[in-house]
Amino acid sequence: MTSDDDLIQALSRNLQAVAPPARIDHIWLGWLVLSAAFVVGVIHLMGPVRDSSLDQLLSGGRFTFETVLGITAFIAGSLAAFRSAVPGGLSRWLARIAVGLLLAWIGFYLFGLYSPALEPSMAGKRDRCVWETFVYAAPPMLVAIGLIRRYCPLQPFRTAMAAGIVAGMLPALYMQLACMYVPAHILSFHILPGLLVGPAAVGVAWVWQFAVARRSQ
Amino acid sequence: MTEDSTKDIDSEEDRWARLMRSAQAGDEADYRELLTELAHVVRRYLSSRFGRAEFVDDCVQDCLVAIHEARHSYDAGRKFRPWFFAIVRYKAIDVLRGQRRRRDLVTRQAHEQLSTEQILETNPLEAQIVSGYLLRALSPDYRDAIILTKLKGYSVTEAAAQLKISEGALKVRVHRGIGRLKRLVEAEKL
Repeated sequence: MTSDDDLIQALSRNLQAVAPPARIDHIWLGWLVLSAAFVVGVIHLMGPVRDSSLDQLLSGGRFTFETVLGITAFIAGSLAAFRSAVPGGLSRWLARIAVGLLLAWIGFYLFGLYSPALEPSMAGKRDRCVWETFVYAAPPMLVAIGLIRRYCPLQPFRTAMAAGIVAGMLPALYMQLACMYVPAHILSFHILPGLLVGPAAVGVAWVWQFAVARRSQ
Repeated sequence: MTEDSTKDIDSEEDRWARLMRSAQAGDEADYRELLTELAHVVRRYLSSRFGRAEFVDDCVQDCLVAIHEARHSYDAGRKFRPWFFAIVRYKAIDVLRGQRRRRDLVTRQAHEQLSTEQILETNPLEAQIVSGYLLRALSPDYRDAIILTKLKGYSVTEAAAQLKISEGALKVRVHRGIGRLKRLVEAEKL
């Protein structure tokens, strides 16, 4: 008997049944809906919200395109993050599309530094939007990591980073409608803290992994 | 790909998916059968790409353990092969990255060997190591750095001295070589 056979015998002996988790796409969809509802709800609750944003959104101009691009980037990015929790679940094209859309979304604001989509204005200014973005992203980020850990991410820190970035994108995206429209402000007070949720998520995943390893010792 | 080989892959896919579903339900015999088949597949897959190095034996076992630990994540509604090969590819690169020194693979005299070409000429065991087509796809600089440090078990200092480069340069070559291997492995259609 070879060492492979020994190992196979050991692995299959007293094999326990395992309950396959729910489809990852269903879990993602549930997370997306609840997280979006939470972030939109808490931003409205804490107020203020820019009055003119709905009209601006419906105007069909560059601002509308920017917003739709952000939403699409969030959807693709969050789907990619969740699918990366299952071996072989994330296709290369989805990963590339998600990264491309995120970069395009940020690129629009960089371009907006020279040519803003809307006339820059202080309307809707929130005093603590930079902290709000970070804090409101925390619950969706923690829930995402908790859900993803039930699967089998082969690269857990990369998956956590992706989950953190998309969780951070959510309030950053909605601040586009709620807070003042000035591209430099959006980049430094909404998008940057949103992106920083990614490394924070890696920290959470690391602590979680460390705690689990210690408990199992 | 011929029609017959496509049929073989399809039937294999169906059988493995069925065996894994059964294993998820706790059937030991089906699980043993599945792991036995997968062990052969992993060994063939790794040997053809990385040569018949001792690394392959370690990697086959690591893959089996990883499959065991990840078996709950297989979704019966999805194909088995992408799930399975994602684990194998990841483990192969992971094992290669963390490969410890393997002084028993080579004798100290091998220190004088400088290049892959010389290795091929002088030592059949090492010729087997570099027979993998993925290793052959690397540039000689990257290939030599990986073979010496990851497959033959030389320390960074020893390998750098043999290749007559600085330790920093060697580490860069190993890092880039593994990155290149990872991209090659991921780019393969299975």
